[in-house]
Amino acid sequence: MRFRATVENIPIFFRIIQAIEKLQKKCIIKFTENEMHIICNDDANEGGIQVWSVVKVESLFTNYRIQSNAENKITVSLSTEALLSALRSSSSSASSSSVAASILPTHDADELVMKLAKKNDQAVLSFEMLGVSRSGRKVRVAHDVRIDVMRPSEVDKLREPLCPEPDVTILFPQLQKMRTIVEKLRPLSDILALRANNSGKLQIAISTDTVQLETQWLGCTNPSMRQASDENAPEPEVAENPDPEKLFSVHVSIRSFIKFLNSHVVSTSTIACICQNHCAILYVYIGDVADAGGVLTFYIPTVIDDV
Amino acid sequence: MSQPAPSQSQPGEAIPVLTASVRDVRFFAALLKGINFSNRASVTLTADTAMGMIVTVEESHCLLATSYIYRDHFDEWSYSPNHSRPVNSQPAQQTPDRDSDSTTFEIPLTTFIECLGIFGTANMSSHTNGPKPKKWRREDEVSDGERGDAKGKGRASSGNRASATHGLEHFFGGGNEKRTSMRLSYAGPGYPLTLLLAEDSSGPTTTCEITTFDPEPNLELSFDGDQTSSSSWLRDALSELDPSCEKITFISNPAADVARGQRRGSVGGAASTSKPLFRIKASGDFGSTEMDYLNDREVLETFECSRPVSVSYRFAHIVHTIRALQSSTKTSLRIEAEGLLSLQFLVSVPKARGGGSSDSFIEFRVQLMGTFRELVEGSLR
Repeated sequence: MRFRATVENIPIFFRIIQAIEKLQKKCIIKFTENEMHIICNDDANEGGIQVWSVVKVESLFTNYRIQSNAENKITVSLSTEALLSALRSSSSSASSSSVAASILPTHDADELVMKLAKKNDQAVLSFEMLGVSRSGRKVRVAHDVRIDVMRPSEVDKLREPLCPEPDVTILFPQLQKMRTIVEKLRPLSDILALRANNSGKLQIAISTDTVQLETQWLGCTNPSMRQASDENAPEPEVAENPDPEKLFSVHVSIRSFIKFLNSHVVSTSTIACICQNHCAILYVYIGDVADAGGVLTFYIPTVIDDV
Repeated sequence: MSQPAPSQSQPGEAIPVLTASVRDVRFFAALLKGINFSNRASVTLTADTAMGMIVTVEESHCLLATSYIYRDHFDEWSYSPNHSRPVNSQPAQQTPDRDSDSTTFEIPLTTFIECLGIFGTANMSSHTNGPKPKKWRREDEVSDGERGDAKGKGRASSGNRASATHGLEHFFGGGNEKRTSMRLSYAGPGYPLTLLLAEDSSGPTTTCEITTFDPEPNLELSFDGDQTSSSSWLRDALSELDPSCEKITFISNPAADVARGQRRGSVGGAASTSKPLFRIKASGDFGSTEMDYLNDREVLETFECSRPVSVSYRFAHIVHTIRALQSSTKTSLRIEAEGLLSLQFLVSVPKARGGGSSDSFIEFRVQLMGTFRELVEGSLR
């Protein structure tokens, strides 16, 4: 089993992990020949939120070499916090606030090499960076992140959640703005209703004994999700949803939703799919949608609301 | 394609009791935040030409906080009292809250304030008028110069966290001219209070329907006559005091007595400290603090005192005023003969049109600490 890559786009990698770190203490990373998958599927998560992301290798890495007995795939489980701190020390934008900033490179590390290694019988993902310190001296910093390599049989058990065909897909406004609003709602309610229709209307609403609150965006884009998958059937959509004004809604845990909104650090655009009363699927694109370097997919299941 | 949302705010009713709008909710929010120590607030809408909305909060039958929001703070104000109730033909009495044409209902105040701040732009701390009260304080804080310098040049914040963040927010939020505007409507008893909030025409809009409750009779603390009146030093005093204090005592003596005492003191020696002009004394389990104020126009704008007073209040009640203090420019403190304390905080709000500013105020009325009150009442009978 061999694996070695140079991290070219440190800030993006850092921000992806930053978003993941807020969600879960451990995550699974699956490296394949062309893609890196980051998976958070812990059942114990608040509100059952899951993340299945796919990042293209060329958008983050260069000199990418992978070799294994399992179709050249390597799946590891590791601590998100450890991974984050390893990346933090190599990115000037990230380390500027940390205490270590004074000794660590002031510029982004010239080179960050990530490789699989074995130290004291423990598999590690070793990060080695070369940079120039503030005083102009060359520094070499190494972080070893302890990992557990997963067996192929275990990996096969990982399954993305199955969802019905979404009732509506809509392009979200800037996540950061949305986050301000949702943060304000958190003290008022535990459950948030996410509603959208096929004519560009998006609503987030809460309903409690004391207040009914609804924030509405108009003129959002309703992208067509099927053009990529099957181009031969673009027409039925109109037939399926005869009323473009009909709102489809899903109730989600407000805390899960805030965890998803933490991904505003990487997002350029976000597309939400709502499966009425089932789940919300949120695609957070890294880089431009047309030429996406990757996508973080958040699954937030509905909350069974007794009210 | 995109149609405006069907208005849920006016179910059936032709003329809602109230429709009002504000272009910038920060001052409105500040006036409410000043009294936000209990969730249930009663709102009175008055037909009085100057008075608009009176929001009252009470605590444990000893403390009554009222925020007077005049109708000229609203860019639009249309109030048509509910005529289904018998309208008293008597001319309106002096106090507007007894007005027969007024409408009263209760709302969860914390929720209301939370809704106002939904876009994160209802915070007073980024407001353009901000430096005004600070400048004021810098002048009368010369003696505290070294503390102010330690905090940072040009920001004479005397260990007051709020004003430190104030400066910081001001610094960062300088270019951020986003304001939340609000439209308020109330259809009548049993209907919710409806807020429509938006930042700009392109951004999102928020509709809040806040449940209203039937009013319950409020504590009535009528105030007559005053003894002391002063201005904006109190914030410093209160923020310096230890939160573990139990009671706070205001001691004041007529200026003439003090002058006499001092003259005698300068001859006789030790007597000068015994008769302070105005002293705040806070005491708790861990000791007590005393603060004396001089009859100096920079500290106390006006000071009237007809006879010596020493009255004590529960510190927990007085400390509720801190948020009102932070948004106010002037404070008036009055103590009536029976020991009822009235604190008024002047909040100046820039007028929406034509510049200038109009003054609004928040009033706190505090009763004496239990035992004291009984004693005073007993002695009066």
